[in-house]
Amino acid sequence: MANPLPSDLRDALSPAARRPWLRPCTRVYLVLVGLTLVTFGIGASGLGGLPLALAVLGLALVKGQLVGDWFMGLRGLRGPWRWVVALWLLVPGVLIGIAFTLASH
Amino acid sequence: MSVPLTVQANRYPPGDLAIWIFILAELGVFAVFFAAYAFARVGDVALFNAGQATLDRGAALLNTLALITGSFFVVRAVALIREGDNRGCVRWLLAALGMGLVFLVVKGFEYAHHFGAGVTLSTNTFYMFYLSLTFFHFMHVILGMVILAAVALKARAGGYSAADHSGVETGASYWHMVDLVWLILFPLIYVMR
Repeated sequence: MANPLPSDLRDALSPAARRPWLRPCTRVYLVLVGLTLVTFGIGASGLGGLPLALAVLGLALVKGQLVGDWFMGLRGLRGPWRWVVALWLLVPGVLIGIAFTLASH
Repeated sequence: MSVPLTVQANRYPPGDLAIWIFILAELGVFAVFFAAYAFARVGDVALFNAGQATLDRGAALLNTLALITGSFFVVRAVALIREGDNRGCVRWLLAALGMGLVFLVVKGFEYAHHFGAGVTLSTNTFYMFYLSLTFFHFMHVILGMVILAAVALKARAGGYSAADHSGVETGASYWHMVDLVWLILFPLIYVMR
């Protein structure tokens, strides 16, 4: 059966045309790579100290949350499973932060 | 008749719920490990900083990128199987397995370097944590690769469909957990000082 739609309109309505240039998960992947390079750059600079350590920890927690939300698919959930990765990041994150703060004194 | 426009959000994460219980248990163990490392460091900051300086941060960067990229490939595999594309799913899973292999090879070179220098678990507290934490994670990468390979084999045989692909999501969830743990391990062991 012939398709009643003109070919240009058919192309415009196709799933490929409706797909954004960069998928959300691709954007998240690029952000993860960027934050990883920033983390590495801080390490390679040889600089230390509590503020930088906590900044690096913060970056790691953001990356973890991005993986949980976008890669593990928790973003669209409701209920306790929505926050399982966030909670996991928070507990060791706070403990590590406390330990590094104690070590800096 | 009006059509409801609201979308019902899921209550449960993708894949088999049992793998998520397993993932929670694994994450709990790693959290204890991370906290133990951080508090052990309080007792001898100089030792931990000196030990950290002997690590190959470039190799760790490469491994972080390999795991993140592998996770991204697994996301693509899941997206394709949700459209019923078994062949596309297999291709992305194989690519993810390749990233896992990169991780194992790079980590293997790191271990060879340290063992060649005479480092063991009993060298000092830093190396005890470094070797046990990273090797524990290393074993999880291997298990994740075995799971992804099993999923890829079933997908290759056309074992999944757009309507039935829980196995792919289950394997993917485990692989992302392995990535997630490394995202904390990398800065904690290699960068934070």
